[in-house]
Amino acid sequence: MGSVRLDGITKRYEDVVAVNDVSVTVEDGEFVTLVGPSGCGKSTTLETIAGLTKPTEGAVHIADREVTTLPPKDRGIAMVFQNIALFPHMDVYDNISFGLRLRSFPKEEIDERVERAAEILQIGELLDRMPDELSGGQRQRVAIGRAIVREPEVFLMDEPLANLDAKLRVHMRTELQRLHRELGTTIIYVTHDQAEAMTMSTRIAVMNAGEIQQLAPPLTCYNEPANRFVAEFIGSPSMNTFEGVVDGDEFVAEQFSVTSDPEVHGLADGDRITLGIRPENVALVGEEDEPESATEPIVCRTDVIEPMGNEVFVYLVPGGGEAEVTTSRVDQLLMSVDPRADVAADESVAVVFDRTNVHLFDADTGDAIAHGIAPPSSEVRADDVEGRHR
Amino acid sequence: MATDTEDLAPYERWTRGAIQNPRRVYTGLFYVATIFFLITTLFPFYWLLVIALTPTGMLGQIGITPPAIDPGSFVEIFERLPFHVYMFNSFVLALLTTAIVLLLGSLAGYVFGRLTFPGRTPLMLIVLAISYFPPAAFLLPLFELFTGNVEVLGVQSPVLFNTPGAMVMPFSALFMPLAIFILATFYSQIPDGLEDAARVEGTTRLGALFRVIIPLSAPGVATAGVLTFIVVYNEFFFSFLMNDGQAENWAPLVWGILNYQGQYSQFYNLMAAASIVGVLPIAILVVVAQEKIVSGLTAGALKE
Repeated sequence: MGSVRLDGITKRYEDVVAVNDVSVTVEDGEFVTLVGPSGCGKSTTLETIAGLTKPTEGAVHIADREVTTLPPKDRGIAMVFQNIALFPHMDVYDNISFGLRLRSFPKEEIDERVERAAEILQIGELLDRMPDELSGGQRQRVAIGRAIVREPEVFLMDEPLANLDAKLRVHMRTELQRLHRELGTTIIYVTHDQAEAMTMSTRIAVMNAGEIQQLAPPLTCYNEPANRFVAEFIGSPSMNTFEGVVDGDEFVAEQFSVTSDPEVHGLADGDRITLGIRPENVALVGEEDEPESATEPIVCRTDVIEPMGNEVFVYLVPGGGEAEVTTSRVDQLLMSVDPRADVAADESVAVVFDRTNVHLFDADTGDAIAHGIAPPSSEVRADDVEGRHR
Repeated sequence: MATDTEDLAPYERWTRGAIQNPRRVYTGLFYVATIFFLITTLFPFYWLLVIALTPTGMLGQIGITPPAIDPGSFVEIFERLPFHVYMFNSFVLALLTTAIVLLLGSLAGYVFGRLTFPGRTPLMLIVLAISYFPPAAFLLPLFELFTGNVEVLGVQSPVLFNTPGAMVMPFSALFMPLAIFILATFYSQIPDGLEDAARVEGTTRLGALFRVIIPLSAPGVATAGVLTFIVVYNEFFFSFLMNDGQAENWAPLVWGILNYQGQYSQFYNLMAAASIVGVLPIAILVVVAQEKIVSGLTAGALKE
């Protein structure tokens, strides 16, 4: 019913390709988030679905009906905008009922629907106010109310929480999830905030440079990123990456090396690779959270310590080199440890990686080679590793 | 210091005071300038009133005050000529023109203000250039056209002389560019999101223009409308030449005033009275709408 299908959508402006051959199928009732950095084409993709922009190539289907050339009003969609876009010359009631009045619904039904939406969003007492008398969060609710009264097949949301303050944003995030559960309508959501994407979606489409990098459930994007871009974009703080080469049974980065069995991953001597490891998969040697399948200890010097309360971020300089001014990300390793761990700035520590969570990417294409690397010798059961191999 | 001041002549003391405390001088100059401008703008109206109140036989003896006061002229103007019909004609012509200018100007303003397309700026300049031509440049061809003297492919042009069309059409064409310019400036300032929202909610582009963009640009629309109305109401050139001066042939206000010139006598008092009556509607309109006009003109000027 409320499914959305994009077939090879391409949008070209004079000399820029904003969206490049994007094909996605969103099932009825799904909450799919398009996420990516500014200018990655996510908003243009959404505008194409809405009909506010015509694609240069490709077709849009909503609810199994081709709508590529239909105007926005005939597509059965509702949209919530980043700048909220309430009509300043109408009160809240008129704003919410705008679409219904245009479609000449009977007065009683309009009243009934507006009341129901107001109840869901708890804005019943605001109906006769003007938009400029509302707070940011209230305006956002009214904008959502305007979208839900028409009972569209698909909701489109373009960074709806971007203009709210941090606390309200987290609150509205849970409200949106609740709303999705209550209404069961398909939602396509655009954001540049990976936390919003992770928490609310059934699936995430990570976009970069006009192309979809990965379309998968949030945890898959997190645990098995399709390429280096996804790996670094999803997760906060982001994944550590190190350029390296395959040398015998080792992956050799500039300041350290990790032993493995490159053949299992189809790699040969001299292949250039990128190693990725998330901060929480780095552990201090000797702490209780040291993983079973640990790599050999890597001697590092601690640089900056950031206590967050529930965890501590430790910036490490691998190789034990001088922990002088090393702001360049390339040679820093970020580790997240338990707040009780005994670490201080500017001391020498040994850390290990959790092998099952070391990611390997092709250094040239950035494509993922493996999520979890094999131990060095053949004593391991190769199929165990093969299972995680992509 | 105090002894110095006492020794000075009054004139010198005043000069010294003015230098030490210039605020008083500024205040004084402000009043001088204000009174000067008030006199230069209001005196013609006073003079009109003086002439209008002077009885016909005493027009030769007018001083700074009327020799005798006879408000009868204000009644006589309606007796000698159907002056109310002339005023009505002017009103209708101005309203028709304003309506056409606002409607077409809104569409053009939307295009120039909200869409990007190749050649937008040159096209806007060409449109504006039309309003730079003196109206006289268009008179002869238009006169030929409206009197049925032009033949295109064997079809004779319609005779519009003595009808509102002969005036409303040139007025609309001449005053449209300014209206387009004002409206385009206003429409371009409405955020894209609002138009997008309206279109998603169920309007067409045109619907969004009329339901969202125009209501939010009310000061701009009022400015364009009032300016057009005033200019057309006061227009002389085409109003004088595109009809024969008879009230029943859509002759406007200016014809009415001029028609008090007899062949052998000039009823200046009647012409003055007619001028005062004729200017009243505009004066009222300006007073009512001036706040909007000022905010409209400055809003256009300040943004960008």
